[in-house]
Amino acid sequence: MIKVEGLYHSYTKDEKYAVKNANFEVEKGEVFGFLGPSGAGKSTTQGILTGLLQLQTGKVNVAGYDIRKLDRRMFNKIGMSFEQSNVYGKLTALENLEFYRKLFDVPTNDPKELLKIVGLEHVANKRAIEFSKGMKHRLTFVRSMLNNPELWFLDEPTTGLDPAIASQIKDIVKAKNDEGTTVFLTTHNMYVADELCNRVAFIIDGDIKLIDSPRNLKLQYGEKLVEVEYRVSDTLKKEKLSLIDEKDRLHLNEIINTGQVELMHTKEATLEEIFIKVTGRGLE
Amino acid sequence: MRLLYNFLKDMKLSSKSFYFYVELAMALIMVFVLLFVVPENFDRQQTFYVHMNLEGVVADKVEEVLEGSDDNYILLDSREAVEAALEKERSSAGVSISMEGQKVIYDFILQGYEDEKFKNIIETVVKSEFAVKTPDYNRVTEIKVLDENAEKLNDRLNMLPIILTLNATFMGLFIIASYIFLDKDEGTIKALAVTPGYIWEYLLGKVGVIMVTGLASGFIVLIPLAGAKAHYIHFIPLLIMTNLFGSALGLFIASFFDTMAKAMGWLYGTIITLGFASISYYMPAFSPLVIRLLPSYPMLFAYREILLDKPDLSLVYMNVGLFGVLSVILFLFANGRYKKTLTV
Ligand SMILES: Nc1ncnc2c1ncn2[C@@H]1O[C@H](COP(=O)(O)OP(=O)(O)OP(=O)(O)O)[C@@H](O)[C@H]1O
Ligand SMILES: [Mg+2]
Repeated sequence: MIKVEGLYHSYTKDEKYAVKNANFEVEKGEVFGFLGPSGAGKSTTQGILTGLLQLQTGKVNVAGYDIRKLDRRMFNKIGMSFEQSNVYGKLTALENLEFYRKLFDVPTNDPKELLKIVGLEHVANKRAIEFSKGMKHRLTFVRSMLNNPELWFLDEPTTGLDPAIASQIKDIVKAKNDEGTTVFLTTHNMYVADELCNRVAFIIDGDIKLIDSPRNLKLQYGEKLVEVEYRVSDTLKKEKLSLIDEKDRLHLNEIINTGQVELMHTKEATLEEIFIKVTGRGLE
Repeated sequence: MRLLYNFLKDMKLSSKSFYFYVELAMALIMVFVLLFVVPENFDRQQTFYVHMNLEGVVADKVEEVLEGSDDNYILLDSREAVEAALEKERSSAGVSISMEGQKVIYDFILQGYEDEKFKNIIETVVKSEFAVKTPDYNRVTEIKVLDENAEKLNDRLNMLPIILTLNATFMGLFIIASYIFLDKDEGTIKALAVTPGYIWEYLLGKVGVIMVTGLASGFIVLIPLAGAKAHYIHFIPLLIMTNLFGSALGLFIASFFDTMAKAMGWLYGTIITLGFASISYYMPAFSPLVIRLLPSYPMLFAYREILLDKPDLSLVYMNVGLFGVLSVILFLFANGRYKKTLTV
């Protein structure tokens, strides 16, 4: 669905690259996550893929179209939800969607239905300028679904939203993906990435450090830990034991055999911890 | 089709914005000012104080001339009285006429601020008026009408081309730029950029809105002030093309900036520069090449033709063609620039 080779981008058109030598492919039907701290170059990469930024160096193919000679028909196949909401404040939610849908040459979804999906049907006829930040974001998000995109770009789809709305959005993304939509998602939220993505790319300072599935990353970099709480005579003891370390494993065996265990759960490394391990930097 | 939707959306948006009404309000204010504040013709009558120390035939003749003239003459008893009157009324002028033997002496008393030109005019006028009617005078001054067809508009109508040029034509330059920056600010341009729509459809939608306001404000001014005197059939293509030129120029200038604040200086400077053409419009004697090269210069005269009884249509349609071509060139250029810069 997406193929990127040797992509470089500099806003200042010099050696200061916001993206340097990016190479990756996104398969049809997968959710591909672009993960990295603020300023890593996620939005820049997405901007190039969606034709918002001019391609400077490299080869980029999106949904079968070469980005260098941008064919506007490509946009019938893709949807883009922006990091910053950008709807017409002076138009109502419904008017915004009604206008936008007419710009496509393909069948589009019913705006009213879409508003319902993100819980905005009750404010359909309210001007967007009166919306809260979260409402505007949902409108921007749902607008990108109008043309039933085959390839869906989501820039920070849940950032800054309250948890209930964020989880609602995650569910919609999952459902769309189940229907076959390919998703390219950028975020600096590791939980979102972990939950939604089939594969993730770690990007920092414009550099893609690695690309793999969250599961593989955890297997490879994560140390499996077990947290146990057990009783020795009358005192409650709490320990974190590695499942890889031989000494810890014997100790755990011993605790289990004495039959004094009160609580026990496995703890996997989070993507966040892995990110720090791989890049030496945090995500915030 | 997308162009139409863009246009309709922009009409809806702009009808809810302040800028849309600026131009129309300006047009209404102009109409009001011209109708109720500006007279149809400015009062150019100057009081002329005259003292005569003449006798016989000459005195009769001079008096005859004074009576027949349309200027405001007041006869006074002495030269001193003329000077005193002049001091009271600084816009007046005076003359003391006396005889020395067979010679008539005209002694002009002026305020001191008059320039050479004015003095020459007075001299010529007086000579021709008085001298012609004085016996034994050899007629040396001849007055020739240079252009038999020169039609003169009244002062009120004469101002219309300036208003049409600055308000209906070039106000759009500001407004279209502000619309673009508004969209940039809201980020909605980016949303449009990821649809199959083309930048030119987006830009032309805005040009359409400016055209609607331009036509509206043009008619608001023209109908009440010129009424049936204007040639509307020729006015419409002229306004459309010049308005298009204004929009294209505005788009072109705005394409070099990313905020209204940064573009403001250039937009404002452009309007002011274009406005300079009205100096030459009023004072044809002052029309240096730099002013004649301004697009607003031929435009003013083309609008003037629209108001004349016998308009020079070749001048009107030369402007229509010229601004049509210039608009297309500027628009294509702006479109090319926006393709690269609009979404950054
Ligand atoms: N319009 C621009 N002009 C110049 N530099 C820019 C522009 N946009 C981004 N940059 C720079 O490019 C780099 C990458 O920015 P980008 O927006 O791609 O980061 P990001 O990973 O999306 O960050 P965030 O998580 O904050 O959205 C940063 O150093 C940023 O300062
Ligand atoms: Mg970003």
